[in-house]
Amino acid sequence: METVLTVKDLNIQFTKDGEVTKPIRGVTFHVNKSEILGIVGESGCGKSVTTKAVMGLLPKKSSQITQGEILLGEQRIDQLSDKEMQHIRGNTISMIFQEPMTSLNPVFTIGQQLSEPLKRHQKMPKKERRTTIINALRSVGIPRADEIIDEYPHQLSGGMRQRVMITLALLCNPDILIADEPTTALDVTIQAQILRLLKALRQEREMSIVMITHDLGVVAELCDRVIVMYAGNVVEEALINDLFDEPLHPYTQGLIRSLPNNNERKSRLYSIEGNVPKVTEQMLGCAFANRCEFATEKCVNSAPPTVVNGNHKVRCWLLTEDGVMA
Amino acid sequence: MTQEIILSVKNLKTYYEIKQGMFKPNKVIKAVDDVSFDVYKGETLALVGESGCGKSTIGRTILNLTQATSGEVLFNDKDLTTLNFNEMRSLRHRLQMIFQDPYASLNPKKTILQIVMEPLKVHDKYKPQERLQKIIEILEIVGLSEYHLERYPHEFSGGQRQRIGIARAVILHPDFIVADEPVSALDVSVQSQVINLMLDVQKQLGLTYLFISHDLSVVQHMTDRVAVMYLGRIVEIATTEELFDNPKHPYTKALLSAVPISHPQEKSNRILLTGDVPSPANPPTGCTFHPRCEFATELCQQQSPSATHFSASHQVHCHLYQEGANELCY
Repeated sequence: METVLTVKDLNIQFTKDGEVTKPIRGVTFHVNKSEILGIVGESGCGKSVTTKAVMGLLPKKSSQITQGEILLGEQRIDQLSDKEMQHIRGNTISMIFQEPMTSLNPVFTIGQQLSEPLKRHQKMPKKERRTTIINALRSVGIPRADEIIDEYPHQLSGGMRQRVMITLALLCNPDILIADEPTTALDVTIQAQILRLLKALRQEREMSIVMITHDLGVVAELCDRVIVMYAGNVVEEALINDLFDEPLHPYTQGLIRSLPNNNERKSRLYSIEGNVPKVTEQMLGCAFANRCEFATEKCVNSAPPTVVNGNHKVRCWLLTEDGVMA
Repeated sequence: MTQEIILSVKNLKTYYEIKQGMFKPNKVIKAVDDVSFDVYKGETLALVGESGCGKSTIGRTILNLTQATSGEVLFNDKDLTTLNFNEMRSLRHRLQMIFQDPYASLNPKKTILQIVMEPLKVHDKYKPQERLQKIIEILEIVGLSEYHLERYPHEFSGGQRQRIGIARAVILHPDFIVADEPVSALDVSVQSQVINLMLDVQKQLGLTYLFISHDLSVVQHMTDRVAVMYLGRIVEIATTEELFDNPKHPYTKALLSAVPISHPQEKSNRILLTGDVPSPANPPTGCTFHPRCEFATELCQQQSPSATHFSASHQVHCHLYQEGANELCY
């Protein structure tokens, strides 16, 4: 299978007021052509920082990629200049953000905002742009597209704005679409519409989608393969059915067990005790050790290796040869 | 089954007026339009619906944080909507609220001790020397300790802040708590901790919850009855099991089917609603759901439906089930 995006052993550090924090500590994953990869994790686990690094959107002054590389196909993109990155961004890789309300500019019409990538990347003449945009808006299921093109973002509902954002990301036919929690701010009925749209787009355009979310339901519905992140590390990577049928990392097991649907009604929900460690905390061993019920001394003292079993990768001491999984 | 009614909402209407300019008449938004329901002692009643359907407004109107336009909220044979500020305040120790956003609902300049002490001072409960002991007790119930007393809210994580919000609400031993989306701002692993806490506290202190949420899997897990709202009205109300097993209203069916599946191999019979929720400033005529309903008839466009009772606890507002009409087959 063709790999369109590879992230290898990525380490990122932020410097603020002389204090160094390391939110990403050795993240490795890849995205295949026309697959939907889910990235799951709680807030602060580094899923957004990772994708921002891929897009080259990290603040230059305060952040630094200390180790690792990001490959787009064969090309290394983590060391490109701003100019070169602008060629790729919006053209080969596009991104949809969480908040459709805040990511559109309130003082420009939909048409003005959507013509920007066409001007920039395709040098399309003005007349052609309008018809292209109207067609693109129609293709994501926006009714009255020829009127909406002249309206402002505040005149649209949340679901409509998210569709406009998706149109914006798709205008240049990108190979990869990164969707950062695209349905979190939307109601369930609208979420169902957007998820169906993303599925249909993947089929039509053979596009790869990276879906960042904290909602395991969305993952179950949409993704082919999933990586689970915890405190700046990838703790598990698996095909979707394997992840739900046989989660191997204690954290993934805990997440799946704590879903209300997997617990008896009115009973106490299974819950992972404790809190996510702060990014400023320095850890020798496994970041999950302090919340893990199977943790041993080894887990606290040294970083776990990644155990590979076909498509299923787990970063945990318990699965190494001398470890025993309870 | 006869249960004691703790709070009764009758024909409640809350309208907001929007100024259109000096010479134009004000626009009226019917956030809550003629809603009636009872809450029984010790139960958890859920209000569910999409954003903008008026579920939070009902919660706020019950506690008199928003003035009702008409209708009654009966608590202890008193109509809360007619009480003045002082009378309401003296009742507040029995009616409390847990807010959605744990980051915005705690005063950043106060320590946890001050935050949890405030309701005790306002309501003059316990002797001053006893208060500290009571606060420590309540903090222990919600899973914090004496050690946290002198800290400020920014030092806590989202889940811990929500625990403080719960401690502040339950320290007066209220009878009734309005919980407005208490877990929707939290991460999955922390969400289950807070849900467990709310269930524990309910058991220990015999609380009644009005649980406002849009997360149907949480609602299914922890509530006894559910009221489904659409554009300011309750379209269906039933016990939780009944509602999830046998939804009647086309909107309820669509809403339940939109919930993401919990396992990739699960097949869902999704009813996709087209379009968005109409603006409450300009709601459709008749049954407000008719533009999105696949079974809408002419009658639905003209008349707003009255309640049909399937059983003592299951009511639906839909023309499809009016007396005489045949049961629909899906």
